Amino acid sequence: MLWRQIKNIVFTVFCSGSVLLLAAALLFFLVPMIWKGSQAVFFRKTVEFDKMQMELFRRGHPAVLEKITAQTNQARQPALALLDHFSRGVDTTLLSKEARSAYQQFGRHLRYREVSDEEYTRLREEAKDIRDAFLKAVETTDKTEAESFLDLVDAQQNNPSFQDSPFRIVFSLSKDYRQILQDIDLSRRSEYAAELDIVKTEMRKLFGPLPGESVPPLAQDRFGATRWDVAQKHLRYLIYQTKWVPSEQEDHRLIARQIRRDDPEEGIFGKTELAPLFSMVEQNLAAMLQPRPTIYWQYFLDDSTAGHYFGGAGPEILGTLLLTVLSMCFAVPLGVLSAAYLVEYAADGIITRVIRTCINTLAGVPSIVYGLFGLAFFVLMVGKPCILSASLTLGLLVLPVIIRASEEAIRAVPQSYKEASLALGAGKFRTFLTVTLPAAGPGILTGIILSLSRAAGETAPILFAGAVALGPIPNVGLHPKWLFQPTRALSYGCYDITVGDRLAMQVPHNQFGMVMTLILLVLLLNLAAIFLRWRMSRKLQGI
Amino acid sequence: MMIRHGKTLLSFIGLTLWIVQPVSAAESKTLQIDGSTTVGPLGDAFAEIFKELHPDVSITVKKTGSGDGAAALIDGRCDIAMMSRFMKDKEFQQAVEKGVFPVAHVIAMDGVCVVVHPSNPITELRTEQIRDIYMGKITNWKELGGPDMPIVPVSRDTSSGTYESFHLMVMNNEKMASNVEYVNSNPQAHARVRSTPGAIGYVGIGFLDRYVKTLKIDGIMPTRSTIAKGVYPVSRPLFLFTNGYPKPGSIVHAFCTFYLTEKGQEIIEAKGFVPLTEY
Repeated sequence: MLWRQIKNIVFTVFCSGSVLLLAAALLFFLVPMIWKGSQAVFFRKTVEFDKMQMELFRRGHPAVLEKITAQTNQARQPALALLDHFSRGVDTTLLSKEARSAYQQFGRHLRYREVSDEEYTRLREEAKDIRDAFLKAVETTDKTEAESFLDLVDAQQNNPSFQDSPFRIVFSLSKDYRQILQDIDLSRRSEYAAELDIVKTEMRKLFGPLPGESVPPLAQDRFGATRWDVAQKHLRYLIYQTKWVPSEQEDHRLIARQIRRDDPEEGIFGKTELAPLFSMVEQNLAAMLQPRPTIYWQYFLDDSTAGHYFGGAGPEILGTLLLTVLSMCFAVPLGVLSAAYLVEYAADGIITRVIRTCINTLAGVPSIVYGLFGLAFFVLMVGKPCILSASLTLGLLVLPVIIRASEEAIRAVPQSYKEASLALGAGKFRTFLTVTLPAAGPGILTGIILSLSRAAGETAPILFAGAVALGPIPNVGLHPKWLFQPTRALSYGCYDITVGDRLAMQVPHNQFGMVMTLILLVLLLNLAAIFLRWRMSRKLQGI
Repeated sequence: MMIRHGKTLLSFIGLTLWIVQPVSAAESKTLQIDGSTTVGPLGDAFAEIFKELHPDVSITVKKTGSGDGAAALIDGRCDIAMMSRFMKDKEFQQAVEKGVFPVAHVIAMDGVCVVVHPSNPITELRTEQIRDIYMGKITNWKELGGPDMPIVPVSRDTSSGTYESFHLMVMNNEKMASNVEYVNSNPQAHARVRSTPGAIGYVGIGFLDRYVKTLKIDGIMPTRSTIAKGVYPVSRPLFLFTNGYPKPGSIVHAFCTFYLTEKGQEIIEAKGFVPLTEY
């Protein structure tokens, strides 16, 4: 008696334990994914996000955006000016470019003047000498040498021939450069240049292209940090330099040390005039970007730019819905009819048993095999990879599941129902259509629910049969042209966004957003089907 | 410049309500691109610009690997195959037998960079040393002057073009040892090295960042100039393959010569590859 009780308790504990374990596993998997994915929709946007939305999607109010842009530009101005001034000292190409263009403009200026040939040649030669002296001053890494070259330039400053010409810019450049020379250690210029490159990259990541730079061709480089979390990440990269230094232990390993770039002792820019930039950006980042919480619900509608950098998962959702619904259109009638035949019509002979075994085996065949079959059969049949061939492949994949579930459901309908129908004079087919099928409906729907989720989530079958990473949005209408286009899909999109592009590493919120969308879509399809089943069984019970 | 979500929205409504939408009678031009995951980002980015330049063309990009790209071109499943390696003899033979004549367009240069965890004090390796690591002859960083830490060699899967280049140029076609870990993509190789102090791996130059340390090979650092000059031992060209030279003026021709334009070159640089021409 006691033994039986103990067994009972142990059984209960194990059962509830496994249920709890399952729930915990679900929570462990789903909650972080949905949480991270939800950040694709709920986040703090910056003014750059508004700019991106305006340019790519024509969304927002131009007047409001203009006002905010003006405010943020004003807040950014001192930092950007500081950066520009400092880079002139380090990145010599900027200064030499300006000097060269001043010389060219001077030549043009002379050509349209009434000057004698002799005078023209003399002035050009003189200007050229001054320009070359300036270029040498800019290029050298020796401070005294640079100053002596600048002296040569400045000696000509009061030459009346250059007073009202475009060439006088060179003298102001020379004055600027003399100023810069006071602040910068020329011997460390190459060291500065490498670090300045990083600083500039991070500034671009924060605020978009720097003033004076041309508009980048790709949308990914045209805007700064569109999200506050991304902005904070780049702020960290901007301020801190990671140095790998030997550890004190005897294992030769290097350990990371975070050093502020403006640290007066160790930071590379600590003693330069660039130092205030870092605290300036750190303290005023909010004013420079104006972060506000937002709900980007259009994530579920928007197209994305290359590599899913900006935008949403709209075409992928549409593609998945199309594929799933179409595959059900093929699989459900075929599956239910085969199940009906197997249960109601076929004799329980050896052939039926073989067929049943085959169906069970098919249900367990790996999905990539279906994908290859789809490539070898449907793609060749239709002519090219497209929505039609992909959904036919998916339909084939879920067919065994639907047949099995329908068979069980039809078999579970009480014999008395059918007998009553037959007794009233209905034929075999009519009995099936009006009595057996409605009674088996909820069971069949369960099978459909299971296969819906499978069809929506499978990647392998559509990999070769019609899914693409980038393609046109299907234009769904009565004209069947869209059936013959390839499509994007959530499952293939999840794969592509993980392995495809290095950009994807920079947008984890979009990676998880795609995964979340797939989970939500499957959940939604399931809920819809469950609701339908509930309605159906209620009707059957006559409530 | 503008990406329309309106079309998606309409399609949603169309899907649920089955509203009749006007469909233009004219058959629009299509351009199908398939192949390497390394060249894929370039294909994506070119397509982004092409959508603006030629709004009437619908472009599809698929990234299933160099080998599949070649197969797709041979089967006529795509117009352009992206490949991070040259076509093999066998593929050429198959192509010619099917009446397809592959023509290569080199669009950019890439370097296969050997990377380790930043905590690793090693800064330079010779080709033979790397070969010995992947052949299992060197199994501890101690043997190379590093810390006492087992080496975790990470390689790309054998069907990738990056693997082929590495296999040919570093491994001299020697077989890799059984302790080598295979991963499916550049980001995965990057992630494995980033998270494992003892790991060594190889990725395309576009995947280098602050989280992994690039090693000099035979004393040469992979940079823009060393790769463009071909001094870096594992530099390789990236290809687009077409069936015959595309007819000038056709959309395939425009796509295959797009890399020559200033915009094309800028995109190649923005995506982290090395442009071929001076622009």
